[in-house]
Amino acid sequence: MNEHIDITVTVNGEVHEQRVEARTHAADFLRHQLGLTGTHVGCEQGVCGMCTILVDGQAIKSCLMLAAQLDGAEVETVESLAVDDRLDPLQQAFKDEHALQCGFCTPGFLMTATALAREGRRLGRDEIRQELAGVLCRCTGYDHIVDAVEHHLDATAEARADG
Amino acid sequence: MKAAPFEYVKPATVDEALQALEDHLGMARVLAGGQSLLPMLGMRLMRPSALVDINGLAGELGRIEARGSETVVGALVRYATIESSPVVSERLPLLQHIVQYIGDRQVRNRGTIGGALAQADPTGEMALACLVLDATIVARTTQGERDIPAADFFAGSYASVLEPEELLVAVRFPLAPDHCRFFERGRKHNDFAVLSVAVAASRGAEGRWEGVRIGLGGVNDRPLLAEAAAAALEGRTWDDATIDAAAALAMEVVDAPDDVRAGAAYREHLVPIHVRRLLRELAQGEQR
Repeated sequence: MNEHIDITVTVNGEVHEQRVEARTHAADFLRHQLGLTGTHVGCEQGVCGMCTILVDGQAIKSCLMLAAQLDGAEVETVESLAVDDRLDPLQQAFKDEHALQCGFCTPGFLMTATALAREGRRLGRDEIRQELAGVLCRCTGYDHIVDAVEHHLDATAEARADG
Repeated sequence: MKAAPFEYVKPATVDEALQALEDHLGMARVLAGGQSLLPMLGMRLMRPSALVDINGLAGELGRIEARGSETVVGALVRYATIESSPVVSERLPLLQHIVQYIGDRQVRNRGTIGGALAQADPTGEMALACLVLDATIVARTTQGERDIPAADFFAGSYASVLEPEELLVAVRFPLAPDHCRFFERGRKHNDFAVLSVAVAASRGAEGRWEGVRIGLGGVNDRPLLAEAAAAALEGRTWDDATIDAAAALAMEVVDAPDDVRAGAAYREHLVPIHVRRLLRELAQGEQR
């Protein structure tokens, strides 16, 4: 039985050649095999969105993808955002707006909003809530998260316009 | 929440996928978007011997094509693609509108139309769209292809008429009716529907309505068409009495479940109200 699969995957710019069990989902692979524990695992059934990562630029829930499916893919996790001690502008916006309390859901929001910001569009607060609806937060009540993402999208769009 | 062991098969062509399904004698499952399948594997609601991952087959299964009056949507077309497709926007606006009620951003980036239909969720939005848009589902085996009208496709709760060795390859939509409306009541947005209703019809001569279809989700073990209700509206102009009569007839197909989301009585209460509302909106000529 072909229960183990050899994959080559680029994670945060680094190429990894790994042997994975067929049934292992991508979040467990990132955490247990690569030691990238920034991707959090909440519900493991696609509801909470904690484990959101980017695969080929698209936000996906890594508990709903098999590690084997990452073969040949470009993966970005929350570890890709900060450079040394310098926060990414989105992370800084979360800090400035007090958009986290316990912080467990934060990687999910950061990665979902990272994909969103790359579209370069300004969005209204309702649209932002729609786009973030796949990540749950039990602390903040979401208002400050929406503030942070709104400010970040505005700043990103402005920076683009200034060229 | 860890899946039981299985063999992972990644075919490079549709033919290889069909062969793999046949080789596993009904014990394999097709992995498309995986947004329903992987949770089910994690909960061990099923233990297939193999997963046949069709995500490498986008060349054969991932296209949206306009062929004359028909629109063919490949089984592997993802919700996010339907959301942004200009072809769908022009030809199947109802399908595009309905997609936003499915899952969330991450789920829509992965989930596929073929996967949704094969999953046969009684509250499935894609299923409802296919029913009211009179879609034909194309299934293939190593022996050949067959066309299944959407109205004959759903066999029960999470069950379709697909054979284990059959692969859903495409959905064919005829020219869409001029007027379509959709309504969904859920406990919260993006949750499974408590009730969903879609209606479609075209305006013929002298204001008579033709090709009337009314689809209901969440009120039986499968999404289905309220045929008697549609028949009462077909070829007629509608006034309040016709619409009220049709809304009452829609109850004929309702056998609502009691579950964590809503009681049967509440679902039954909602059906005629929302069928009536959508029909009135159509009659008032609001287009969507």
